[in-house]
Amino acid sequence: MLEESKLLEKLPLKQHLHNIKRVLKLLMSLDQSYIPWNVVAVLLSTALSYGGMILSAYVLNRIAGGFAFAELFQKVILGVVLLSLGGSVLGILNRRIDVKSQMMAESYLALQQEKIMNMDFSMIDSPRLKELRERIRLENNWGAGIFTVFWCGKGVLEAVVRIIGAIVIGIPMFSYFGKEDLGWLWGVLFLLCLFLGIGLKLYRYFQNMEHYVMFHVPTAEEKKFLWNYVWDFAYGSWHYRYGNGKDVRIYNSYEVMKKWTYDKLQGKEFFDYTIKRPGIGSAGSYGIQTALYVLSQIGAYGIVIMAALKGSMPVGSLILYADCLANMMIQATYVVTAGLDLSLAARKQVGILELLELSDEMYKGALPMEKRSDNEYHIAFRNVSFKYPGSEEYALKSFSLEFKVGERLAIVGRNGSGKTTMIKLLCRLYDPDEGEILVNGVDIKKFRHDEYAKLFSVVFQDYVLFSLMLAENIAADKDYDEEMVRRCLADAGFEERLEKLGEKGIESFLYKDYTDEGVEISGGEAQKLAIARAIYKEAPFVLLDEPTAALDPLAEAEIYSNFDKIAGDKTAIYISHRLSSCRFCDKIAVFDKGRLVQTGSHEELLADEGGVYASLWNAQAKYYEAG
Amino acid sequence: MKQTESQYQKHYNIFQNIGYYFRYYRQSIPAFLWLSLVEIVFGAVSPLFGIYLPKLAVDLATKGVTWQRMWLTLGVFGGLCLCVRVAATASDSGKYFLYNTRRNELLAKVFLKTLRVPYRNVEEGETKDLYWKAMGIINQGDWSAIHKITYGTINIIRNVISFLLYSTVLSFLHPLVAALLILLALVQYVISLRKIKYMEKFRTETAELDKKKSYVLYSAMGNQAAAKDIRIFGMKRWLSREKDLLLDRSRKLEQKKSRADYFFWQAGSLLNLGRDIFAYGYLLSQVLAGVVGPGEFVLYFGAITGFSGFVGSIMDSLAELRSGSLETNYYRTYMELPEEDRETGKRHISELTQPVSIEFKDVSFSYDKAAEKKIFDHFNLKINAGEKLALVGVNGAGKTTLVKLLTGMYEPDEGSILINGVDRKEFPREELYRLFSAVFQEPFILPVTVAENLTFEVDYDSDKAWDALERAGLAGKFREKGVKLDTFFDKDIDENGIELSGGEQQRFLLARALYKDAPILVLDEPTAALDPIAESEVYDNYARYSDNKTAVFISHRLASTRFSDRIVLLGEGGILEEGSHQELMKRQGAYAEMFEVQSRYYAKDKLEKEVF
Repeated sequence: MLEESKLLEKLPLKQHLHNIKRVLKLLMSLDQSYIPWNVVAVLLSTALSYGGMILSAYVLNRIAGGFAFAELFQKVILGVVLLSLGGSVLGILNRRIDVKSQMMAESYLALQQEKIMNMDFSMIDSPRLKELRERIRLENNWGAGIFTVFWCGKGVLEAVVRIIGAIVIGIPMFSYFGKEDLGWLWGVLFLLCLFLGIGLKLYRYFQNMEHYVMFHVPTAEEKKFLWNYVWDFAYGSWHYRYGNGKDVRIYNSYEVMKKWTYDKLQGKEFFDYTIKRPGIGSAGSYGIQTALYVLSQIGAYGIVIMAALKGSMPVGSLILYADCLANMMIQATYVVTAGLDLSLAARKQVGILELLELSDEMYKGALPMEKRSDNEYHIAFRNVSFKYPGSEEYALKSFSLEFKVGERLAIVGRNGSGKTTMIKLLCRLYDPDEGEILVNGVDIKKFRHDEYAKLFSVVFQDYVLFSLMLAENIAADKDYDEEMVRRCLADAGFEERLEKLGEKGIESFLYKDYTDEGVEISGGEAQKLAIARAIYKEAPFVLLDEPTAALDPLAEAEIYSNFDKIAGDKTAIYISHRLSSCRFCDKIAVFDKGRLVQTGSHEELLADEGGVYASLWNAQAKYYEAG
Repeated sequence: MKQTESQYQKHYNIFQNIGYYFRYYRQSIPAFLWLSLVEIVFGAVSPLFGIYLPKLAVDLATKGVTWQRMWLTLGVFGGLCLCVRVAATASDSGKYFLYNTRRNELLAKVFLKTLRVPYRNVEEGETKDLYWKAMGIINQGDWSAIHKITYGTINIIRNVISFLLYSTVLSFLHPLVAALLILLALVQYVISLRKIKYMEKFRTETAELDKKKSYVLYSAMGNQAAAKDIRIFGMKRWLSREKDLLLDRSRKLEQKKSRADYFFWQAGSLLNLGRDIFAYGYLLSQVLAGVVGPGEFVLYFGAITGFSGFVGSIMDSLAELRSGSLETNYYRTYMELPEEDRETGKRHISELTQPVSIEFKDVSFSYDKAAEKKIFDHFNLKINAGEKLALVGVNGAGKTTLVKLLTGMYEPDEGSILINGVDRKEFPREELYRLFSAVFQEPFILPVTVAENLTFEVDYDSDKAWDALERAGLAGKFREKGVKLDTFFDKDIDENGIELSGGEQQRFLLARALYKDAPILVLDEPTAALDPIAESEVYDNYARYSDNKTAVFISHRLASTRFSDRIVLLGEGGILEEGSHQELMKRQGAYAEMFEVQSRYYAKDKLEKEVF
């Protein structure tokens, strides 16, 4: 959790420019042509807008003198048509840019998600990533994310180009001023600058009021009245699922849930914090912006009319020059405000940039995995100790264990004894804090990770299937071997259900998240698919973590009796609270509080009557004894 | 995509829906209406300053006033303009927060509604769809229906006023000019209607693609729970390729949409070209005729070109109102779903002698009324007062459905459920729920305090709470960790907050059931996440938990049947076998087979190899 948001701190200009540069570099990497296209569009749009002003100034100047209708009208038509043609080109450009923006935003998101798929697993629940994610969430809670960068960047560019245009067109205006005008001109300019200065100061003040609610991390005091679970409950995140409606009714929890949702939104402090302060801030900052806009315009008109009062300036030029001068001032203010917005928008991307730049530490091994046709692998844990990131307690402590290929190893132990942790270490989802894990005598860190990962098939307790095509789920890839998929499904006991899927068969989609045509499957069926996926991988080690928890006795027995098919001639590690599973394993390892306390066959372990295994076994077996 | 309409679907018209939201504002945030009024009035007037300023400048310069007089005039004009415009923008942006933050309140209402409709509805796909639609209607930022209607209405009123003001200005030039411009605007409107209709054909594909993109990008690639599987099975390539395919399709679709959009926009801009040529031509001829001077020329030219903007905005807002109103009907349909009747009933549970008996009499039930095969077909089961019943059966045999019928989550399609011989419909539902203590499979633990989670009461009995924790085997652990009754299950709000492991969660749910101490105890797989010793503890304590209660125990672990008075084996829409463990074992039927399958692994003697 962040103590205080970095977004409210002051940053030196250099740092802001650095942030903007980083973001622009990223944009360039997503689409190289994006910035050039924008430059062209801005140049064209500026040209068109000044073109229109010049045309009407010309017409107005001609009106003041005498003119022939046909001649002037022809010229007007020519001008208007040219402007319209230019507009059409701009229309094409802007639409191209819109599509580009949208695609870039999607690629940008994909980049972040791919990064999360690719990073070290141990990073995923690390405090560092949690902090980074919290920061990204906070930074992108308001506003339009990367789109704000697009808009503000374009806005600043446009303002600069417009100022340049206004100067170029407005230059002849100065010939209408004489030396005698300098005095009051300075006076007016001074006043305008004063207004601009005060205005921008006020603008910042109000904007900070608005930003407070957006980027400030609430203090413990503020949390008391701010904290509510509207979003958590309403979006069914981990706290509430519709199935919990049963508990809500039985236990009458409605009032408690209302208290933490609707009622919490009603307090005065809540109102002041979330509505009043930012509301006033927002009203103030926009109000100031408008006031500056009006002042610039009126000031500009006044100055130019002063020159026109001398009598020689045509009325068309009067309006053109006044608009140019007003534009200079308004756009100058805009450069500042849009610049502030841009620097903020860029700053809000820094969390994501840092995420993208996180470097991986774990998978640096270079040793190729020797391909053994005989699958002769020997695995050894030597004095391994491990704590989960951010945890104080050892999940495994001075842990040693050996096993070799072809063995069936059962792991049993109480909740929290380190069974799943051992699997995670073996698969190198984490590295041990102390000790080492050896495969054929070599520390597993030294192997190339992609090759090492091929050794293991795992069915985790909390396995996940994706709502994509069934066959792809089994192959874990877009390409799959149809025959093999079918075989694996059969081995996992899914055959019967497959027949019911009808024509689409293995090409059916699972669940309805990806397509409405997906099929719903039960928990037991999903478990079979997870097992089929593990078989398909054909890895020399098969690790099963509580694969029958959701199954009824018959389905459980089916998995047990298919176990040989599943494991084949491979090494299998089987974790279960159902100690019955120990009966078909050659070797049993008993874990207790992060340590290996017993190993041996079922008979050997049971013989040790005071041992952990015997107590676990008897606790369960006594209910099944004949009687 | 054709969808069958919900039986509850409401059909309110645009005006009813506008009224619906604005009534809510009047009650809940009247300041929003006042600020809107300010914004409408000042916002409608402010464009006039824009077209009058050049005219004023030309007039001042050509009439040859003194510079003092010039600054004075300009100052007064500018001051007025400043006040009007600042009032308009400040009220506009200030009101946004008022409205935007209050959306959370509406979200909360949608959610709370979910807790008040009959549970059966909550599970239905149709209601779930409606729920997500209702949430989206409040919560898709500026695309949500509430925004479209609120801002659409305000925009229309403001633009209509501006429209009338400009019409007045133009009618000084010639009334027909205004008429001509309105005609032009109508043509623009027809174009925009055609555009909406044309763009409609992309909608299905866009929605389909959005769903897929959102699934692959957010739910699949970003799924932290899947991180292990993604790495072990090397799924990065698969998901990335899926993503690339989708983004590629997305790009092509967006380009197609963009081209179509350009086509309609170009048609509109050709009309504007015609309008500009007409404006110049007409005004030039008027200048020649001496009707219009340079000052009026700029004023009218500004008015003509600005005029169509208002009409265009009105048309856009009308379209928004239309679509917003259709969507709002989903929201209102959800909010107006009939709620559970919790109050009415002739009898009271206080009249019942305890423990109570429950009887399913000729109960038929199916999820889909049109389905051929019912889950239960004329099902009969009597659970005697104080009886301990074990419910077993394979996955899909109907155990969970039976529990939902039993606890009053579902009503039977036919037949009745009797409590102490009285049809339960005669009791108020609120009281009916008080009969049950239940532990369901999905953990339900809110990120609030231990006490609130345990008791859901304001004035809870803390001795009783600790006693329940004690009996469920959690009190020791809690004391050891320094957990108190006001500790939160959430580390974000309470730095001493706790998280429970799977096994601890199950014990906590048990503690909740024990605290409630209701006459009927229902335990649905309460030991699935427990290790053998913890499981055994629960079994050992079961007799105490269920003392003087009617109890139903559901488990895949057949060991649990040993301490039940009667076992009911469910299957094929009814009861396959029933009796005590000994009786059923003697029968050598389906139960005996299941028990045999599970227990043979626990046999004392060495397993025979043929088992595998």
